[in-house]
Amino acid sequence: MKTTYSDQQLDALRELANIGSGTAATALSRLVGRTIDVSVPTALALPLAEAVDAVGTPDETVTAVVMPISGDLDAIVLLLFPPADAEVLCELLGVRAGSEVGRSALGEIGNILGSAYVGALGVMTGLELDPSPPETATDMLGAIVATVLANGAEESDVAFVLDSNLDVEGAECSLSFMLVPDRVGVGEVLAGLGLAG
Amino acid sequence: MSEGAPEAVVRMGELFVSGSAGHVLASIGLGSCIGLVLVEATRPFAGLAHIMLPASNGDRAAPAGKFADRAVPELIEQMGAIGAAASRLEAVLVGGARMFSFGSSPRLDIGRRNEEATRAALDRAGVAVRAAATGGTNGRTVRVRVGTGVVTVKEPGAAEIELFAPTQTGQEKPR
Repeated sequence: MKTTYSDQQLDALRELANIGSGTAATALSRLVGRTIDVSVPTALALPLAEAVDAVGTPDETVTAVVMPISGDLDAIVLLLFPPADAEVLCELLGVRAGSEVGRSALGEIGNILGSAYVGALGVMTGLELDPSPPETATDMLGAIVATVLANGAEESDVAFVLDSNLDVEGAECSLSFMLVPDRVGVGEVLAGLGLAG
Repeated sequence: MSEGAPEAVVRMGELFVSGSAGHVLASIGLGSCIGLVLVEATRPFAGLAHIMLPASNGDRAAPAGKFADRAVPELIEQMGAIGAAASRLEAVLVGGARMFSFGSSPRLDIGRRNEEATRAALDRAGVAVRAAATGGTNGRTVRVRVGTGVVTVKEPGAAEIELFAPTQTGQEKPR
């Protein structure tokens, strides 16, 4: 069973995340009418036990938007915001945070960003990817990330996460944007890029 | 996670046992995962497994705590190795929440399946479940204090509450 990836493969996946998150940032920029700064993505391939701490502080409360992807690839798109940043984002959208409307607005942002990201991914890899409707939750970071990782952990003891940060310029709003493919999913992506094996 | 540390954090797929009174074992942010605590009521032995998934399907290479069907016997064995008596072990379960519904995914509700598989494995091993804080949609943190065997659980935005305290009959209470 394949548990490690070559530097070349990781570079390619990072580049993929870069383009995907760039596309997502453009979509977010249109929504909020501000410039979005995108960090250089990181590609994490870690033993399961180390994965949560690499993403954040396990007992910190975060707001999460989760969007499962199916089709040629099983993956989960995960957006994490500190609750205060989720509030700022709701304000920018003109909805009240914590309300039903606020939650569905965040879900919709997840939907738009996730779809933009996955759309770019599909174009680059030639894979057919179907996003499912997003869900939101506010809970401990550890509980959210571990649950997302457990979903793809059946066949692998390595957690694979493509992580990038989006910052809304001129606002205290930063969100962490992640793609978490299952093991087979990573292989599919690499095959799509011509870097299998 | 050295033996002398005041709090040992047991992360995804790990398990840990201790016979040092005063030592605390913790799993922080359990979602669909199960935190399985084993204590021996009258002596300072405690163990904690951070279980991610129900069934190993023969996967022997995975971390020992990852799958319920392997984690339960492994934790009991490791408790035995530090001197605990299998026949006197008591179990507490925390976690197994349904954080997301994940649409119509067939793999949904891993949390419930984790709890069922853990209970089934404990049943096979003849270990009784004395307390549980499972299900629901919230994450949880579990802690067990070696010596008193007291198990606490904390949900986001709530105070840490005592979930279980063993009855320590006929023995000097460790303190």
